[in-house]
Amino acid sequence: MGTNFFGGKRDAWLLVIGMFVAVLVFALFTSDFNLSSFAITLVSGLFQGMLLFLVASGLSLVFGLMDILNFAQGAYFMVGAYLAYDLQHATGVFNITEAVPDPNIRFIIGVLVALFVGAVLGWVLERWLLRPLYDRPLFQLVLTFGVSIIMLEGIRNIWNTTPYSWTDLFAIREAEFTLFGQAFSMYRLFVIGIGILLIIGIALLLRRTRLGIIVRAGVEDPEMVSALGINVRVVFTLVFTLGCAVAAFGGAIAAPFLGATISLGSTFLIQAIAVIVLGGLGSYEGTAVGSIIVGLALAAMQQFSIGVNIPVLATITPMLLLVIVLLVRPQGLFGEAR
Amino acid sequence: MAQTRPISANAPARSANAQNVSFVASLRENWLYWLILIVLVLFPFIIGWLSGDSPFGTPRGDRMVMRGESVYAQSVLINIFALSVLVMSYNLMFGFTGVISFGHALFFGLGGYLMGIILEFGGMDPNIGLIVALVVVLVVTGILGFIVGIVSLRLRGIYFAIFTLAIAEMGWLFFRGLSITNGEDGLNVASLPEWLDPARNRIMVYYVGLALFVLTFVLIRRLVNSPVGSVFQAIRENEERAQVLGYNTLHYKLFSITVAGMLAGLAGMLLAIMNKEARPEILNVSVTVDALLMTIIGGVGTFTGPVIGASGLHLLDTFLREAVVTIGPITIDIGERWTLILGFIFVLVVLIFPYGMVGTWQRLRMRFKRSK
Repeated sequence: MGTNFFGGKRDAWLLVIGMFVAVLVFALFTSDFNLSSFAITLVSGLFQGMLLFLVASGLSLVFGLMDILNFAQGAYFMVGAYLAYDLQHATGVFNITEAVPDPNIRFIIGVLVALFVGAVLGWVLERWLLRPLYDRPLFQLVLTFGVSIIMLEGIRNIWNTTPYSWTDLFAIREAEFTLFGQAFSMYRLFVIGIGILLIIGIALLLRRTRLGIIVRAGVEDPEMVSALGINVRVVFTLVFTLGCAVAAFGGAIAAPFLGATISLGSTFLIQAIAVIVLGGLGSYEGTAVGSIIVGLALAAMQQFSIGVNIPVLATITPMLLLVIVLLVRPQGLFGEAR
Repeated sequence: MAQTRPISANAPARSANAQNVSFVASLRENWLYWLILIVLVLFPFIIGWLSGDSPFGTPRGDRMVMRGESVYAQSVLINIFALSVLVMSYNLMFGFTGVISFGHALFFGLGGYLMGIILEFGGMDPNIGLIVALVVVLVVTGILGFIVGIVSLRLRGIYFAIFTLAIAEMGWLFFRGLSITNGEDGLNVASLPEWLDPARNRIMVYYVGLALFVLTFVLIRRLVNSPVGSVFQAIRENEERAQVLGYNTLHYKLFSITVAGMLAGLAGMLLAIMNKEARPEILNVSVTVDALLMTIIGGVGTFTGPVIGASGLHLLDTFLREAVVTIGPITIDIGERWTLILGFIFVLVVLIFPYGMVGTWQRLRMRFKRSK
């Protein structure tokens, strides 16, 4: 009932609502109260927030459950982007343009292949490399870093270092929608929609399924879970695989906008780390809310920094937001207070 | 991790005689360190003698040109000194006190940038400028370390690590966009005093670097073996227990973080002198990651581990970059694949040396001794 509407995290939700209002007011202010440019900020902010969420969600689940900060997460994102690019364009390594002439189907194939390859690579990393190291968490960090270097170099050897920008047009990129009199590519709405579906999907997985109950219990106390007779290692592998698959999927979804470049992984990785800490480690809703807030703040600041001509302002926004939140609330938005 | 010594002020005043005995004892105990020091002092001359090139460079007209094997070897070692000091300072904080920071690059980069800015825009005599730069670097990195350390009162573990990461990222983005230091191209540091100019007097830079390296090594060893160092290690093992014993752990953590930050600033200065430039890359998170990886690979919480990690990886980096291996009909250009090999090295070291190279070696030796 009313008093318990926010659950046990009333302060956190109040803070989140306050931040949303502040960011939106700031966005209105930077767009000079002009609704059509406010719409640009809003759509671009949600779009960037969802892209962040696609990297951060896997990172957050994996960190919450097994205390691994997976430095290779960015590399999985990149693998997804490269695969999707390659399967779409004729200039790539695998030329499937003749076999599948329809660009829409090629895009779907690219996304599915990225999802599959990400899952397989994630499974290999957890099952064969990380598993012997659970009693040495620091070395897991070194290992994931080593793996990310190997993957980066692998990409460099297959596709060389030239940045690829997406040139192929397909239905969802050409279609448009309007908001406050401003036209946008349907593709942005598509990414935002996928992001929202993913947020809801993973939330349902965590709240409504047996696996989700095990995962949430594992976040609290993995030893207790295995003492109850549940093979927690299998759950670890599953969650890690899922996290990597989602990252690769995100890369594939984002490729039509970001293209495929070598620096893609590290940029997104650091911002995603900032997001999961800002949201509170181990908290899934924190990651979701944090991504959206950071995305909106980033978009508003981009608008603002063009106005005052200080480009650095936009790039430091995620970090600045993180520092401020941590100083106010040391456990992050939804983290457990010690 | 059973290295924690009992916390006791067991240092009674010694007589002159006892001091003499202890000097001989320390010589016997540390003979390897003394031997390495002597080799390092003579190093430019040894290489010069072996290769026939002068350690002072080749004379051309009335000035020296920095060419020849010895000069090249010196520059490799200067880089190793700077890197080792950085990694040792990181180890003081991370390996001995148990504070994980992802923002160490900020101190390192500030050392380089502050010195460059003071020398280039200070308009002072280069010698005075260098002294001013030294003081400013120590003060600024010290104060910054202190402030960051105060935050560690509120933030623990990974939250503190990511907080420092965010601060360092902002520093990197700031200097990358700063126009007076030429943004991404970096600042050229041309107005170095002549005696410390690596393009004229590399051997002086070598000895300054060696001095910094030795001082850092001795300082950290002394500090960690002192009662203060025992508290550091107690904090690493169990901070609550150290608090219960009556230690104000915040003071000790502040001290550790501040000293580590100042040493990293000095390392950054040395590297900026050697390269004669300060580029935004020295502020990048990859510097911190390198320091972290080198510490872990060498051996967390050991004295020699960071040095072995730093010099080992830097030497591999320097020599394998140009190496081309031909086995029968197959020619492999290692330089082209170097980063890939580095990735495999990380993975292999993690799987083969479970406690870092020095840590694993110590454990093996201990087990061997026990079984005898």
